[in-house]
Amino acid sequence: MTFANMRKGGLLALAVASLLASPAFAKVTVLGWPGGPEETALRAAADAYNAKPDVAENDKVELLFFNRDGFWDKVQADLAAGTTAFDANLLATYSIGRYAPFMEPVELSDEAKAVYGDSVLKTMQYEGKQYGVPTDLSAHFMYYRNDLIDALLKDDAAKAKFAEISEKHLGKKLEPKTPDEWTWDDYAATALYFTQAVNPDSPTRYGTVLQLKNLLFNMMVFQSLPRAYGANWMDDSGKITVNSDAYRKGLETYKLLYDAGATPRDSLSYEFAEANAAFASGQVAAMMQWNAAASDLTSKDKSPAVAEVTETVAPPTGPEGRFTHIHGLGFGLNKNAENKEGAKAFIKWLSSKDAALIYARNSGAPALTPDVVKEVATERPDLVKLGEFASKYGYVMNGGTSAKALSVYELQAKEFTGYWSGAQSLDDALKNTEAGMTELLK
Amino acid sequence: MTTISQRAPSSEFKLLATPLVVFLLMFLGFPAIVNLVYSVSQVSFENLRSPQITGFANFAAVWNDSAFWQASWFSLRFGVLTALLECALGLFLAIFLSPLIEKRSWLLAILMLPLMVAPALVGLMYRLVLHEFVGPVPYYLWEYFGASFSFLGPASAFWTLIVVETLQWTPFALLLFYMAYQAIPKEIVEASAMDGARRRHRLWYIELPLMAPTIVVALLIRFIDGFRVFDNVYVLTGSGPGGSTASLSIYIYEAFFKQGAIGKAVAASVILFVLSFSVLYGLNYIANRRKGAR
Repeated sequence: MTFANMRKGGLLALAVASLLASPAFAKVTVLGWPGGPEETALRAAADAYNAKPDVAENDKVELLFFNRDGFWDKVQADLAAGTTAFDANLLATYSIGRYAPFMEPVELSDEAKAVYGDSVLKTMQYEGKQYGVPTDLSAHFMYYRNDLIDALLKDDAAKAKFAEISEKHLGKKLEPKTPDEWTWDDYAATALYFTQAVNPDSPTRYGTVLQLKNLLFNMMVFQSLPRAYGANWMDDSGKITVNSDAYRKGLETYKLLYDAGATPRDSLSYEFAEANAAFASGQVAAMMQWNAAASDLTSKDKSPAVAEVTETVAPPTGPEGRFTHIHGLGFGLNKNAENKEGAKAFIKWLSSKDAALIYARNSGAPALTPDVVKEVATERPDLVKLGEFASKYGYVMNGGTSAKALSVYELQAKEFTGYWSGAQSLDDALKNTEAGMTELLK
Repeated sequence: MTTISQRAPSSEFKLLATPLVVFLLMFLGFPAIVNLVYSVSQVSFENLRSPQITGFANFAAVWNDSAFWQASWFSLRFGVLTALLECALGLFLAIFLSPLIEKRSWLLAILMLPLMVAPALVGLMYRLVLHEFVGPVPYYLWEYFGASFSFLGPASAFWTLIVVETLQWTPFALLLFYMAYQAIPKEIVEASAMDGARRRHRLWYIELPLMAPTIVVALLIRFIDGFRVFDNVYVLTGSGPGGSTASLSIYIYEAFFKQGAIGKAVAASVILFVLSFSVLYGLNYIANRRKGAR
């Protein structure tokens, strides 16, 4: 063997050794949610954690991301296959039950309860055990144009027209109110008033925009309406209660708005992005939407037509109260983690006040208790409302974290959109949903 | 010492074919067997490695599921209509544009551009194009007619999807037909012209019969592609209100991933395989009989 060959061989061996040795530096691998503010926030938190002097070299955090498309399905397949590619992974409220068999409950820091509060911690619980730290929370706000509402409230002729429209479509004379005082009927009446198909003098083409695509996330937006009338997925004995007056009221209200033309006719193919685009055009008066839309809809660059007149309140109220559907993203522990202790330590730290504030300051959306959120209130005013609404009005349906929660939303999406589109009756939609949920949640 | 050249041809064949057979067994045979086991099992992500054999309950569930038949009907209609439209348009364009493309062959490259776009991106593109407040089509409809047409509503979604699919895949048929048209011997065409055949007679009695094998192949390929459609439909309408735009591929995907009903999804794919195989076997049998009859 010549020296040159020996040298090549040596270099090759060194390269192979380096590659093989690299997992030793992999430390704690965390699978995150890619490409959004959640990624930015997680990167900042991981950097802060790695910079801590008491974190051993072998326990430093390395992040892993893959495409959002089919993310939850891919994670499920990975976990079920016993992957060791990551030690901690992202999980969502509605996926905990599916992932729980492949994950381990986690221990949070002593500060966690004071930082997040019980209702938010609950979004990461399954069968009474804590499976993750809730880093990002999604809730729903009622977005509305304050210029339109203010004008309506000052105009007597408009009030008379409002009462006439509400009587014709809802069967009762209503007076315009400020959105923070809205019942769901007030919302429906306002949506109808600002619809040109109902009121040709309306300054906007549509009074609202509903997200009616056959998609599970749209069902989450819808749930707060029937919930305000007492809806739940099942009672304490486990009996499915979806075939109820509360769901009937919610479904009929949406149908009424769709049939009256108060929402674009293509709403049956609308989801988050389409609804935002409709509202941002200035042709919609009010809509229920995820809190994540707030920054775009109040940005002069992104939504010049409505940025200065857009305001948010909690969803309208009903006989049983005011509710906003909440679900969280968080981080939990892979049962097959190679560096389990390191992952546990990171997750525990992530639930501390320091970590939550770092996460919040770097574009994350944690729902923090009033005492904690005031420390970032000037930089992140949107988090103040998120924390307030989540703690006051946040709810998770009975069974909302079960193994089949996603399938329940899917089922509802199929059946309810079938009713809204006119393909089936309300009775059939509720009957099919009840039968399907009974099978799924048995 | 025995060398390869001294072995019987059958031994050489076996030796050379072994890697391919092993490859096929590993990557097709093994999943096929697992699928067959799953199709007669109660299986979910929780017990992937230890499915419980339960007989033919999954097949019965699929067979009795109205959504399966709704999806089958959607796929069949979609496959037939898009194949017919794409081939009819492709044939017309191939013949109509032939003189132009002969002189300016770069035109063909431009016409092929839609094929270069991934179907999922096409779906995404049309979500923007057809959106009432973002898309150019609804904008001009509103400007000129003061009306907002619902492109993806329950009444029109199917036809919108047909148009989107046809616009993307007609160039594929055009390419096949143009090549077949160019391959027709010039002397036959010239001889018919000398004999006084009119243009439409040449087309009907000479050119189309000579292109017939290509037309059949194009129809078959486009039908198969249309029948198994997933990407652009899923991006544009999901499975539609009440599952109205769910194709069989979407039905199987949703059963597997969204409902976690793995056994049911696999059973549906097995039924689909058996039906497809039967149809293709039948077509092959008819083709062979016709060949034998000549």
